[in-house]
Amino acid sequence: MSTPVNRRIFGGALLAATGALAVQRMRSAGQVPDRRKPRSRVAILNETSYSGPLDRALAEGVELFGLDLSGKTVLLKPNLVESIPGAEVNTNPRLVGAAATAFLALGAKSVVVAEGPGHQRDTQLVLEETGLARELRERGIRFVDLNRDEIGEQRLATRFTGLDCLWLPQTVLAADFVVSMPKVKTHHWAGVTLSMKNLFGVVPGIAYGWPKNVLHWKGIDRSILDINAAVPAHFVIADGIVGMEGNGPLHGIPRNLGRIVLADDPVAADFTCARLMGLNPLRVSHLAQAAEFLGNGAPERIIQLGEQPPLSVEPFAVLPEFAYLHT
Amino acid sequence: MNDSVGETERQRLARWSLSEELVRRQLPRTGGWSHNSAQFSTEPTAWALLALRSSTWASIAKEQGLAALMSRRRSGGLWPAVEDWKGANFWTTAIAVNALMILDADPKTLASSVDALVHSRPLEASWLVRLKFRYSDRQVRFDPTKYGWPWVPDTVSWVVPTSIVLITLERARRRGLAGGGEFDNRLRRGTEMLLDRACVGSGWNAGNAFVYGVPLRPHIDATAIALAALRPHYEQPIVRNSLTWLLDCIQCPSAYSLSWLILAVSTYQELRSDVTPALVTARDRLAALVDDPRGIQDTSTIALAALALGVGPTDNPFEVNG
Repeated sequence: MSTPVNRRIFGGALLAATGALAVQRMRSAGQVPDRRKPRSRVAILNETSYSGPLDRALAEGVELFGLDLSGKTVLLKPNLVESIPGAEVNTNPRLVGAAATAFLALGAKSVVVAEGPGHQRDTQLVLEETGLARELRERGIRFVDLNRDEIGEQRLATRFTGLDCLWLPQTVLAADFVVSMPKVKTHHWAGVTLSMKNLFGVVPGIAYGWPKNVLHWKGIDRSILDINAAVPAHFVIADGIVGMEGNGPLHGIPRNLGRIVLADDPVAADFTCARLMGLNPLRVSHLAQAAEFLGNGAPERIIQLGEQPPLSVEPFAVLPEFAYLHT
Repeated sequence: MNDSVGETERQRLARWSLSEELVRRQLPRTGGWSHNSAQFSTEPTAWALLALRSSTWASIAKEQGLAALMSRRRSGGLWPAVEDWKGANFWTTAIAVNALMILDADPKTLASSVDALVHSRPLEASWLVRLKFRYSDRQVRFDPTKYGWPWVPDTVSWVVPTSIVLITLERARRRGLAGGGEFDNRLRRGTEMLLDRACVGSGWNAGNAFVYGVPLRPHIDATAIALAALRPHYEQPIVRNSLTWLLDCIQCPSAYSLSWLILAVSTYQELRSDVTPALVTARDRLAALVDDPRGIQDTSTIALAALALGVGPTDNPFEVNG
């Protein structure tokens, strides 16, 4: 007997599968570039608290990748939405600060933290209320509001949204090394919000509004693919120490995951995070499609550095519409 | 300026240093202002022109800035957000038209812009999109028959652009630049949209009061600009409650939100006795927050803070009831 839940499970799974097939065909026809490397590297760090030795843990974690950052400009893109007391909405400021220090220690010419919140127009208020302003002041790290940065036209390598180009902040376009620093959360429109969805925040509010409604109408999954093809993150540091389950990205429940995920491929990072969340990444439409051309999702193409993934996990709760992510 | 609430020496000095910083940031090539670079941007240019209009530097700023602003208008009467951007933006268009009216630009030059604002429609004006909200996209809760203005064409209405367009069109009406049945209907729908999109109890955010059954919180700047637009509707409980909520936010740590708060709350001075003492506190706090204007990234924030520190009851750019 067909129930609403079964229909949703079937519909969601079908959507992700047909999307991935369509991208396969587009890749074969040369309509999307194949950016996948032979192997991607992921490291899962065990950290149960933000008050622990994050600087040391992150420095050691990043060290595993042997990155050559000497003379390079590094841009850290955390997930800053707004401050809601008691809710784990934003990438933790201490983790952002620790990442900045780690990349400077690796010889980066400069490290800047940059974000363009999607709904809250007062970026400074978000910085102050989340504690990130203080963290960056103490470490002497500059912040750039991507919603109001100088913007330039970027031709799109892919056309999932049907747009020819995106107008993007020069600070992002000029950075040598972009690091996506998501908060590991469920998302009521996209299923999950991880390193790829996090790059929605590079789209400038002065051009697209608050929220970035043009892209919502073009389709969130399609927009995520175009943005990530235009501005590929070179590295990921995902804040899964405390994530969010249920009605994310704002009103879900905090979930102690106790992990930081590092990766040199955003697709591999998001597949790993989804697996740690107990969700099937191939059921997440934008992840299934991204794994066909942007990065690696298959476990055999992901090299695990450091800790191995746990053998079993308690799945993150999701809204009923996303029950298919558990299958 | 600021004649009903005595301006303290600290506030006067802060306003002076903000104005000086605005002059320093005026772009030499274009004569306009940018948010945070060398790229001409409509919004900071309009705010800076308003902030400097009664300062020592008024004539210099106006001479170059006004021409820079006018020259960026597109053929359809709308302004872009930044110089190179090909699209139009209703938020920046309304800010530019409002500023130009206050700066006594020739009304004839503004007619096409006012007309473009009145005749623009967001996506919800289409019955197909209304059907989508009624039958498919049901996790957000609002009435799509009540629509205002979007940020950019081909999107739906949001609180912030709707509020500034309402303020601008009301000023245009008072100056005899617009009027008539269609104009009144458009303003009425925009006002209804703001009232419909209010958060539970008080305040506004970008424009979603509920998502997935959860009430969302108001934002200070969105509440402030919506209140400025709804000043003629003070009899509405949501307007009164939102003013109370906003007055409770004067300890906010951001100059941007606090500036919006002061500018909006100032328009209610005649209606509520608790507004004037709150403004004294808020302006003192703002003066402290903008102690070092060079450290403020966004030029719009500098201009809005200068306006908020100096504005009096007769020269508030957001006053629609005067």
